[in-house]
Amino acid sequence: MLETAAGDFAWDSAANIAAAVTAGRVSATHIVDATLARIRERDPLLNSFTAVTERRALARAQALDAARAKGQKLPPLAGVPFAVKNLFDVAGLPTLAGSKINRDMPPAARDAALIERLEAAGAILVGALNMGEYAYDFTGENIHDGPSRNPHDLDRMTGGSSGGSGAAVGGGLVPLALGSDTNGSIRVPSSLCGLFGLKATYGRLSRARTFPFVASLDHLGPFARTTRDLALAYDTMQGFDADDPACADRAAEPVVPHLDKGTGGLRIAVAAGYFKSKTAEAVAAVDSVASALGANRDIDIPQAERARSAAFVITASEGASLHLDRLRARAKDYDPAVRDRLIAGAMTPASLVVKAQKFRRWYREEVLKLFAEVDAILAPATPCTAPLIGQQTFRLGDVELPVRANLGLYTQPISFIGLPVVAVPVPLAPLPIAVQIIAAPWREDVALRIAHALEAQGVVAAPRPAF
Amino acid sequence: MKRKAGRKAKSARAKRPRPARAAAETRPKNSIEVLVAASAQALGLTLDPAWHGSIAFNLGLILRHAALVDEFALPDDAEPAPVFHA
Repeated sequence: MLETAAGDFAWDSAANIAAAVTAGRVSATHIVDATLARIRERDPLLNSFTAVTERRALARAQALDAARAKGQKLPPLAGVPFAVKNLFDVAGLPTLAGSKINRDMPPAARDAALIERLEAAGAILVGALNMGEYAYDFTGENIHDGPSRNPHDLDRMTGGSSGGSGAAVGGGLVPLALGSDTNGSIRVPSSLCGLFGLKATYGRLSRARTFPFVASLDHLGPFARTTRDLALAYDTMQGFDADDPACADRAAEPVVPHLDKGTGGLRIAVAAGYFKSKTAEAVAAVDSVASALGANRDIDIPQAERARSAAFVITASEGASLHLDRLRARAKDYDPAVRDRLIAGAMTPASLVVKAQKFRRWYREEVLKLFAEVDAILAPATPCTAPLIGQQTFRLGDVELPVRANLGLYTQPISFIGLPVVAVPVPLAPLPIAVQIIAAPWREDVALRIAHALEAQGVVAAPRPAF
Repeated sequence: MKRKAGRKAKSARAKRPRPARAAAETRPKNSIEVLVAASAQALGLTLDPAWHGSIAFNLGLILRHAALVDEFALPDDAEPAPVFHA
C-alpha cells in the first residue's frame, strides 16, 4: 500500500526523498525500484549510464527499510538514489574513465571515498555514468559508449566531460550525481543541462580511488536540481582523507545551516573584460542573476585569458604524463581526438610548463586580492547553450571557435586556482544556461547562500524537460 | 642581492608584459612537424603517419597558448604552484 500511494519521485529533490523515507511515507525499496524502472525506460534515449548496480542498490534499500522497521534513526540522505561518473571506483566494476583501455582493468576492490561517505549517510548508488574519454573533453561525446544526450533536446550535447552526470540528473533519472571538474567538467554540463553544480575549493573533497586526469587541477563534486541538495551532499562528503595527498587537513564546515541567511551584506560583482559575454543567451543569464542580486559593480579578473592559456598548457602536459605508457602501448585504442591532444601534450617543452605553473602562483595572488573588495563574482558558465551533438564549431562574436576546446572558456581561469564555484541554471527558453557564482577559497557557504537566494526568487531553477 | 633585484624586477616588469615574442612566428614553417617526429622518437612513441597532421595541429595550439604565458614577465624568484593548498 505504501508503495502504491507513493508515486515514482522522479522529479523530487534528494531532501524530499530522504524526508519521505525517514517519515515512512515511502520505502527506500520503492524509491530504488522506481529509479531502476526509469533508467530502463529512459536511459536508452539519454545514454547516461554505463553500468547499473541493481542488486547492490536493492540490497542497500532493503537494509535501510529493515533498520527503519526496527525503529532505528535513519541517516540524512536515507534512500536517495545517486550515480557517479565512471571514473569513480565502484567495487566490483572496472573504472572505465570513459575509455576502451580501462575495460581490461581488474574490478575495483573498494568504492571511491565520496561514494563511501554518501552511502554512510544513507544514499544509494545505482550506477556508473558515461563521460568523455579520460575526462579530456567538454562535449559529453564518447567514441566507445556513444554520446550522452541532453534531456532538453536529445540531438544536443550534454557538455562534458561529466556528460552522463548532467543527463542523468537533468533527465530525472536520479536526483543526485557526482562528477569531476578539471577545467569545467561539472560546470559545463550543469550549464548545458540546466542543473546546479558545485566545484568546491581545490583540496576540499577527497579524490581517493578515482581515476585522475590532471592532478594539480582535478576536483570532484555534486550535480543536483536544487541548491539544498548540493549542500546536503557537499556537507556529507567534506572532511580530511589521508588517501588523497591533495586533500586539505581541514575540519568540515557544514553549509546547510547557513543556506537561509540570504545575501544581505554580501558584496557581489560581475566579472568584466574577458568574461563579458558575446552571445545573447549568456548575456541574458548573467544580467538576470546580477539584477536579482543588485550586483551593479563590474570587477576585472586580471590576466584571465592568460590564465586560461596556462591551464591549457598544464592540462596537456600533466595529462600526457599520466598517459605516456598507455600511449606507447595502446595508442590505437584511444579516441583519436583525445590521443592526438595527449601526444601533443607529451611533446610540450618542460620549460613552458614550469612557466605556466609560475604564472599560476602570480595569478592566484592577484585574484585573491579581489576578495578583499568582494565576496562573490558572477561570470557565465559557458559561452553558449548546448550545441548539437557532433557540432565542431560555434560563433563567439566575430570568431568561429572549435566547440571541444572552447566550451570551458569561462570555467578554466577559475578552476586554475581552485576557487569554489556554484553553477546556477537560468531556465531560458528553449535551452538553459548557467552562471558561475565564484567565491574565495573555502567560502563555499557564500556561493551556496547566493544560489539558494536566487532559487527562492525563482531566478534560477533546474527546468524539467518535456522528455 | 639577487633576490632583491628579482623583487624590483617584479614591480617594474610584472605590471607591463613585454611585447609578444611570437615564438611560433619566428620558427621555420616545418618546425612543429620536426618537433613531432623528433619527440616521438625521443619518447618512444610509435606514430601512425596519418596522425602527424592532427598532432602537429594540437602541438601548435598548445605552443600558442604557451607563448601567451611565456611573454608575461615574472621575477626570477617566482615560485611555481604545481600543487597548492588554496
